[in-house]
Amino acid sequence: MSANGRETARRLISSGRTGRAASRPAAAAAASACDRLSRELSWWFGADGCHALITRALAQAKARHPALGEIQLRSGAQPCIDGLEKAIKTYGDAATAEAFEVMIGLLVELLERLIGDDIALKLMDQSISNNVREEA
Amino acid sequence: MKKRARELIKSLPSGVPGLDAVLGGGLPEFSFNLIAGGPGAGKTTLTHQIMFANATVERPALYFTVLGEPTMKLLRYQQQFTFFDPNLAGTAIRFINLSAEVLDGDLDAVLKRIVAETERASPGIVAIDSFRTIGGHKGVLDQGLLDLDGFVQRLALHLTTWETTSFLLGEYAEQDQRSPIFTVADGVIWLSQDTNRNSVVRKLQVIKTRGRAPMPGLHTFRITDAGLQIYPRIPEQTQQRKMQKRERLSTGVAGLDEMISGGVIAGDAVMLTGPAGCGKSTVATQFIVAGLNNKESGVIAVFEEYPEEYLARANKRNPGLKKMIDAGKLEIIYLRPLDLSVDEALAAILEAVARLGARRVVIDSLSGFEVALAPTFREDFRESLYRLVGTLTAAGITVFMTAEVADPFPDAPFTSEKVSFITDEIIIQRYVEIEGELQRVMAVIKMRGSDHSHEFRKYEVTAKGIVVGDALGEYDGIITGVPTLRDCGPRRVPASRE
Repeated sequence: MSANGRETARRLISSGRTGRAASRPAAAAAASACDRLSRELSWWFGADGCHALITRALAQAKARHPALGEIQLRSGAQPCIDGLEKAIKTYGDAATAEAFEVMIGLLVELLERLIGDDIALKLMDQSISNNVREEA
Repeated sequence: MKKRARELIKSLPSGVPGLDAVLGGGLPEFSFNLIAGGPGAGKTTLTHQIMFANATVERPALYFTVLGEPTMKLLRYQQQFTFFDPNLAGTAIRFINLSAEVLDGDLDAVLKRIVAETERASPGIVAIDSFRTIGGHKGVLDQGLLDLDGFVQRLALHLTTWETTSFLLGEYAEQDQRSPIFTVADGVIWLSQDTNRNSVVRKLQVIKTRGRAPMPGLHTFRITDAGLQIYPRIPEQTQQRKMQKRERLSTGVAGLDEMISGGVIAGDAVMLTGPAGCGKSTVATQFIVAGLNNKESGVIAVFEEYPEEYLARANKRNPGLKKMIDAGKLEIIYLRPLDLSVDEALAAILEAVARLGARRVVIDSLSGFEVALAPTFREDFRESLYRLVGTLTAAGITVFMTAEVADPFPDAPFTSEKVSFITDEIIIQRYVEIEGELQRVMAVIKMRGSDHSHEFRKYEVTAKGIVVGDALGEYDGIITGVPTLRDCGPRRVPASRE
């Protein structure tokens, strides 16, 4: 995965660990970042577009991280993540958090390829600023 | 009581070259518009151009996507255009997907979402793509067309109340014009593609604009990497030729100037006609060179060969032409796409004329121009050329056109009957057989408002250009191509054979 994808994923996750959420466990923060990103993606691309993007990133990330094996994407008006607790119980908080970080990084890369670096970065930045606003 | 001044409707620049002129000055602010046309007509690109030209972070554009092209793909493809500024996407231009609301078939929920997002962002522009999918979705159809009428009405009111200029995009056909959207819309822009043999011509029509007087008729347009470029149909009013000083311009061919009382009249349209190889292009180039020598810039529109080839050939007789191009005094424009419209050709010529401040234009040749036009325009070639030449000469530009006459001999016409009526001056160049040799002659057969020679004069195409010789006063039947000496005395032997 590219350094940029990884870096953006880290920024997104850490933006959800400020204020009242500062002490949140790493895996929960990463999954929460993923949920919030899916909100942004749904706003831009609709629920189906968001679902397609996360499904692809999740499939790619699962091949690298067994911790994501338990993770399912629930479809709906805004797709969200299921199976987090089971993953943490089986693989531990750090490994699950690492797996989510990879998945988000892969999603960033996918967006960059599809809609270009600039717009992908802007979308991620908006998601980050929404995180910061909500956690403040 | 003090009278209120009339509310003047401001115009938004469309950002689409040529469209503001067609719209009668731009897009009326806060208008509710429909952009209609078939698949691939350019509706989405046109709307994006308008958004990118107007949206700011403070007054953003909201682009609602429905069930048509997914936003992801739309962003991927639209950013290929040069007008697409990624810095504006997501901030000044916000993309919002409405598919969930539409799939539920709940028009109230769709309206509620649009109004909520409008209220939140206070946008200057709102676009809904594709609006047709809202009206055509089964869930919506189940609610009945009356609901759709009401939805369109309420949507228009909300968007105007929020002071937005809005665009609904949809794939509509002629028979759909009974749809309520056509009644409610303040403006309707129709995009179409006409296919004729292997050629496709894109056309735009402003069917309706409230509070504006748009240019009537179909206007051709092209989609390039810069987006849409509209070529407004040449307006009738510009065809009124202004009265101007009847200044004489040298043709660059001394003998020809003598034949036309000192030169062509500025602002006239001159046709050079003759068979292949008789030197029509050479005369036309000398006309341009004479202008350049007199510090008058020129434009040559070529249709039959590439500009490099044209220049290489012309430069042999007129060294220095290349330097004139480099100095911005001369431009050779190449127009040979085979799906050209006369308005597109005129736009290209007028742009070059404006860039250079040119006073002389050569169109070489009319037959090449006719072939370069899309078949649909070839049918109207006379009318098209009339508009083109009329617009150029109305601007005071002197136009030389070359026209090939296929067979120079007895039964052939002097000129093509299709186009001679548009010209002020006609100069014919022909081959004749004299003493068993093929020789070239020229004559002036028409010159409006001026005396001119009625003689046939021999000329040669030399390394330095056209050199006009003596009149063939002793010959009869020159027009047949095989002249005979009028005097029945001993035949003259050409000097070279003595």
